[in-house]
Amino acid sequence: MAYTVTAVGSYPRPPREGGEFRLRKTLQAMDRGEATADDVREAQDRLVSEILAEQAGAGVELATDGQVRWDDPLTRLADGLEGFSVSGLLRYFDNNTYFRQPVVKGPVSRPRPILVEEFRYAAAHCPVPVKAVLCGPYTLAALSHDEHYGDVGALVRDLAEALNAEARDLAAAGATVIQFDEPALAAVPGQPPGDLAVLADVAAGLVDGVQATTLLATYFGDVTAHGPALFDLPFGGFHLDFVSGPANVEVVHEFPGDRVLEAGVVDARNTKLESEEGLAGMVAELAEAVDPDRLWIAPSCGLEYLPREAAERKLRRLAEVKARLT
Amino acid sequence: MTEGLWTTQVGSLPKPDHILAARSDFARGRISRDELTRLEREATADWVRFQDEIGMDVVVDGEQYRGDMVAFFAEELPGFTQGGLVRSYGNRYYRKPIATGEIVRDHPITLDWWRFAQSLTDRPVKGMLTGPYTICDWSFNESYETREDLVMALAEVIHQEALDLQAAGAKYIQVDEPAVSTRMDELDLAIKALGMVTEGLEVHTITHICYGDFHNAYPKMLELPVDQLDLEMANSNYDLLESFREYPFTKSIGLGVVDSHSHRIESVDEVAAGIRRSLEIIPPERTFVDPDCGLKTRTVEEAKAKLRVIVEATHRVRAEL
Repeated sequence: MAYTVTAVGSYPRPPREGGEFRLRKTLQAMDRGEATADDVREAQDRLVSEILAEQAGAGVELATDGQVRWDDPLTRLADGLEGFSVSGLLRYFDNNTYFRQPVVKGPVSRPRPILVEEFRYAAAHCPVPVKAVLCGPYTLAALSHDEHYGDVGALVRDLAEALNAEARDLAAAGATVIQFDEPALAAVPGQPPGDLAVLADVAAGLVDGVQATTLLATYFGDVTAHGPALFDLPFGGFHLDFVSGPANVEVVHEFPGDRVLEAGVVDARNTKLESEEGLAGMVAELAEAVDPDRLWIAPSCGLEYLPREAAERKLRRLAEVKARLT
Repeated sequence: MTEGLWTTQVGSLPKPDHILAARSDFARGRISRDELTRLEREATADWVRFQDEIGMDVVVDGEQYRGDMVAFFAEELPGFTQGGLVRSYGNRYYRKPIATGEIVRDHPITLDWWRFAQSLTDRPVKGMLTGPYTICDWSFNESYETREDLVMALAEVIHQEALDLQAAGAKYIQVDEPAVSTRMDELDLAIKALGMVTEGLEVHTITHICYGDFHNAYPKMLELPVDQLDLEMANSNYDLLESFREYPFTKSIGLGVVDSHSHRIESVDEVAAGIRRSLEIIPPERTFVDPDCGLKTRTVEEAKAKLRVIVEATHRVRAEL
């Protein structure tokens, strides 16, 4: 299928303007002791169903659950792993959003599945396939405060082992595409690019035995510093952000013929809607280097940085671009 | 007494419960704008009186009438449209403004509030503005070709506001740029924009920066064209002082001595010790002692307790000079 329209990860939780924000109210009620964890889960379930239908309605062919059960991009996983606690708020890359910094207190392991149950829920309530999304071991290590290992390589190795177990379970639960988010690998403005060698050492173990298409997702910047070596990593595909990392077009010429390129082409961090013509031209250019059947089109990153209406408009625009090109 | 070692504040102060309730009532159409303003003026007067009583040298109005520091300005500037809700963390959301047209200033934004606060005290009241770089960074941009274009358009309108504050008699004008530390690659842009804001100002100018990796930005940040840099020192254990030993700190410092994001009330002893450490490097005539950041996330009681500690510790150290 040419130009598969794909979601990347997060999705806005607020309702459309004027709608009832049930999840927020339920969480506030829980803080006051007036709602239970079950009430919150039910509000989350309803929102996930709504978001999945909204994506499919907009023309998305590979959706996500919007990560609406996550407080931030890291702690949902860190909380589920042995060896972590969480500490104060830090800014998440160059966004005006925050995460609680995970702190590594002891050996990292995964005592039980973390996201499998919520993946099953999403898959059962979505008219199109659902992508499972995990924070990658490199980024989780890079943004955490390590008080135990004293050696990033050792920490990333244990994280890769734990996340491999999670990915295997997600595949067994029916996930056909499993994404590892590694924004810390990219050259995010104002920060140096990540150390590819650290991830390269553990990548084989990370995807070992995972019966699904694995994706490595970088965003918020370009990956040109790593050159084609990035594509030597044993992932089934790569998400690149062509909005915050326009230089990524340079590495596409060296894109291997047997992998998926998930191209982030609409800006998931600005409300301005891209023109259909401009996007179609950009995607057509990418299609000169990558077979359209392996060229997926997507927002630049998770859509949560946008208000709800703007997020949906961006997805519709991707579907319009696909229709124009096929 | 030695001239110097003044006490001041970064800007925001907590809103008492009845102000929070009134803001929410106003948003739901249950009370009028006039009624809300009346309550906000009362709360402002309470905070000015408190600062007078404890002997704060440079006073703030406490921003009882502001919600988000960026949205407050965007709502008053033609060219911005109110955006939808965007999540910042956990269950917290804010309305992120959208630049949809040409940004201009068709009326003063903070001037009446500054005049009101200054009418209540003989102590100088700081003019409090949000900087152009931060307003751009925390907004969506649909109308300007580049970030730089939007930042410079904002610099012009904030400059106009600063000139009005100066003309009205403000002796201190602070231009907050908390977003500057997110992207060190754009520090030059922030410097250029702040230069436009402070051009022609003869009063004492200040910028407050937080959440930053200053070790990488120093001494480059001394190029920010203001008289005073207001910095969080307490929550980084005064680490920056080491950089100041290596390369002299040439400006006045806003010395943050209490953590604005912790419930714990610091002791007078520890705050005094922090001030003494700084005085080894920066002289009293260039030192303004204040909290690390705005105190709006604390309770009224916590904020008052922290401010009392700041004044007492500063007076203790002053007496030793």
